[in-house]
Amino acid sequence: MKLRIPKAHRLLRRAFLLTCLLTWQVSAAGAAPLSFNTALPVSEGEFVFREQFIFSGSGHDPGTASRNLQVFSAVSVLGYGLHNKLAVFGALPYRDKSLEITKNGVRQVRSTSGLGDFTVFGRYTVIQIDGPGRTFRVAPLAGVELPTGENDATDALGRLPQMVQAGSGSTNPFGGIVATFQSLDFEVDAQINHKANTSVNGFDAGDVSRLDGSFQYRLWPGSLETPVPGFLYGVLEGNLIHQGRNRNNGIRDPNSGGTTLFLLPGFLFVTSRWILEGGLQVPVIQDLNGTALEKGLIGRFGFRINF
Amino acid sequence: VIPQRSHTCPPSWDHRLIVLLSVFILLWVPGHSLASPPPQGPTYQIQVDGLSCPFCTYGIEKKFLELDGVKQVQIDLPSGSALVIMKAGRNLDRETARKTVQAAGFTLRSFQPVERDSTGKQETNRP
Repeated sequence: MKLRIPKAHRLLRRAFLLTCLLTWQVSAAGAAPLSFNTALPVSEGEFVFREQFIFSGSGHDPGTASRNLQVFSAVSVLGYGLHNKLAVFGALPYRDKSLEITKNGVRQVRSTSGLGDFTVFGRYTVIQIDGPGRTFRVAPLAGVELPTGENDATDALGRLPQMVQAGSGSTNPFGGIVATFQSLDFEVDAQINHKANTSVNGFDAGDVSRLDGSFQYRLWPGSLETPVPGFLYGVLEGNLIHQGRNRNNGIRDPNSGGTTLFLLPGFLFVTSRWILEGGLQVPVIQDLNGTALEKGLIGRFGFRINF
Repeated sequence: VIPQRSHTCPPSWDHRLIVLLSVFILLWVPGHSLASPPPQGPTYQIQVDGLSCPFCTYGIEKKFLELDGVKQVQIDLPSGSALVIMKAGRNLDRETARKTVQAAGFTLRSFQPVERDSTGKQETNRP
């Protein structure tokens, strides 16, 4: 599962160019990816609601503390179409985190739960090319992650480590661009996104850049007849995520940040009113700095409704 | 001794009960099975570009049903078309249809009134 590569930036650049090429070659939106929310389709004056349950565990700990981080998240996303080209979204996670760590030969468990940081963003469609049974759209997006989650939770041992806190404590703006091509047979989504994490109490988490791609292929029904009961899609997604090093009082933490590539096989069952979705996100490449804790498997299951 | 029903109720009452029951059934049975269907207005066939999955169809259907005078909307995803059935005496114009499709996030390709032939069946009025 683990594969360390020395040239993460070269990989990032190649994957970026490849995804751009694939996206623009198809040159030309409904189902939407599992691992990112920015491509969710919504009509003017309509709402879309997504609830996703995410189970994640940490992978190998290169350090000596045998850290094991388990996180359960329930992420609620509400989108509203202000205009046929402008949509706004809000996302609020509930998190339950537990960290097992060995310190001075003693195994400790540090845990917390509660609401995380609220994210709000807007998306404006600048390119829309519709044809019979197909559509191509490009939309820049911008938003901010607000420090609504608790960031100074403590237990009997004192303040919890940052990775266990439910919230980041900082206001973090982000922006990007998302492109979607959808036909009756398949859908392709691609996104470039950058989040600039700001500092709080002298701690500055590294900025996060990500490149996401999603391919959804209709498995059932094989041929389209009226009425269409629903579509079952097979999904394959890729997420290339790079995080810079954290800073403590201006000093870089050498054991933080790095690059991870996830692959996500999954499914979508799509009807006119609701969608069921699920998949397993697998970290296939991890090039992390120092003793940064590696990522483990991430399970994503949820639903969406139109109303 | 309890008297028998046939002794207390004269035969003419039975006939009256049957008649009353028949009238009640005639009035009570849902109107659509006995009466003629309510009058229906004109129908339009609309071709929509960009319609490519079932989740998209809901927006189109809801937007048209919000329009005053629309009685029913039938969407055929494989052909990317929608049949909009109006209430009696109501019409739909192309510009309203275009704006409605656009608000749902799609593009109007064509707009055609559907006319009924001599047998009562509907046929598209080809330009």
